Amino acid sequence: MLVLPGFLIYFMVLAFPTVVSILLSVSNFKGGQLFGGKNPWKIVGFYKYKVLFRDPYFYMALKNNMWIVLISVFGQIPLGFILAYILYRGIVKAADFFQSMIFMPSVISTVVIGILWSAFFSPRGAYPELIKLFKPDYVYQGSVNHPMIPVLFVILWMYTGNYLIIFIANLQKIDSSVIEAAKIDGASEMQALRYIILPALSGVIVTSAILAISGSLKSFDLIYVMTAGGPAHQTSVLSVYMYDKAFINAPDYPMANAISTVMIVISFALIGLTKLAEKKFGGRE
Amino acid sequence: MANITDKRSISSKIGLFFTYLVLFAFTLLALYPLVWLFLNSFKTTTEFQLNRLGFPKKWTTLNYSYAWVKGHFPTMIMNSVIYTGITTVMTLIFSFMGGFAFAKIKNKATPILYGSFVIGLLLTLQSIMVPLFLMANWMHLYNTRLGILIPYIGIAMPMGIYLGTEYIKSIPNALVESARIDGATYFRIFHSIIVPMAAPVGTTVAILTVTGTWNEFMLINILTSKESLKSLPVGVQKFASALSSDFGKQFASLVIGLIPMLAFYGAFHKEITKGVSAGAVKG
Repeated sequence: MLVLPGFLIYFMVLAFPTVVSILLSVSNFKGGQLFGGKNPWKIVGFYKYKVLFRDPYFYMALKNNMWIVLISVFGQIPLGFILAYILYRGIVKAADFFQSMIFMPSVISTVVIGILWSAFFSPRGAYPELIKLFKPDYVYQGSVNHPMIPVLFVILWMYTGNYLIIFIANLQKIDSSVIEAAKIDGASEMQALRYIILPALSGVIVTSAILAISGSLKSFDLIYVMTAGGPAHQTSVLSVYMYDKAFINAPDYPMANAISTVMIVISFALIGLTKLAEKKFGGRE
Repeated sequence: MANITDKRSISSKIGLFFTYLVLFAFTLLALYPLVWLFLNSFKTTTEFQLNRLGFPKKWTTLNYSYAWVKGHFPTMIMNSVIYTGITTVMTLIFSFMGGFAFAKIKNKATPILYGSFVIGLLLTLQSIMVPLFLMANWMHLYNTRLGILIPYIGIAMPMGIYLGTEYIKSIPNALVESARIDGATYFRIFHSIIVPMAAPVGTTVAILTVTGTWNEFMLINILTSKESLKSLPVGVQKFASALSSDFGKQFASLVIGLIPMLAFYGAFHKEITKGVSAGAVKG
């Protein structure tokens, strides 16, 4: 009984739509009423997936998504860890101050961040001026050649603080007397890190990797606001591409749902891989 | 001997210097764009073009008064407060109720039901966007407050239920059982034992829900087209993208969008960081 209200809403909002989404992806739904409308829709098979897998824009979006996954897993997590480690070891004063400053971007609305940075990097923004301070003859080309680089930079800027917080919280759970004891026995800082701290954190690292992967596949707001996938789909990601298909111009709902289904499959596959990697290399908790 | 200690202290001093340098660099990186934004929101657009990096020569608040009125920001902020407030309260109530049931009143269906919530943690918003939009239309909830609130509560549910259940599990069974024997109803147990004892996890759930809902942008963007129902992020996006080159006014609207969350962070930064790390223990 107690579960009922939360459960109903949850099913209405999350579980049921997920099933509908998968069904729609293999249907010929053309808009109108979802149920009992004038044009009833039926299952027509995997036709949309065939089209999707031949679509060059799909691969462009997928490639950008993979870049985001890479920068998240191999950028945010190591950076977050290094910063957390420095703060945790008490090498510096005012650790709290640094921690709250570096984490701050994570709480700001993505929309604000997106617009702020696109202004910052725009030809009339601060970035060209800043470069000119160091290189007076610099001519700003815009980011035409590598439009993903500013986006990736902002993603790094925004979320590194998250992992900093996660790592600090878990570092604080480690019994510091173990580290001190190792130090007394002559272990160097690096050895303590390698043999005590990293093994103790392996579980957290895997969790962070899973968070980073599912987070990167979800990324929509930032790119939608910063570039809307442009110029010419060069910064498109799967979610933005899906949004285009569903809500811009003539809606192609089955195609949009095919994309979202592919996204779910990829995210589960990557998470599965991470778990496998954990079994193989880690598991010394 | 003295020589060695000297060398070591010098190298550790250099190490310390570099550590500080790294930390200051990151702090500067986090702060500079915000400071830049703030300073430039007080410049007229003409001044901005001539002086993009420095302090404003003449501080003007015209940008703010323009953005405040033209961007309908009072309405947007009100809407955001309503959405965030109701979503947070409902999520808290439902998570406590569900958590209590899952943790203390088990039956055969519990593992399946609970499992279905935990899977929800991994579902992405994108995968339900189109069906939600279609369902909202079908149920005539498009462009209504309720049509925005229901999905918001549903989305916050998996995290709330998960954290709630895990926490309430740690409350000793003996407490619940002895209250049962003394003739307390489940409602009474819930009200006088579970809720007060689970208050810490309530803070975590509330913090995660508030930040998540306040900053939510994608769903509300597709679930409403009415100006009077939009939330602050949508309002900022609409206002700012319409003024793509009028940086002064654009920046003023960004600052307006920024301040509530920064204030919230300033007031609760301890709780927020705790909430983030608690939310990450899943997986």
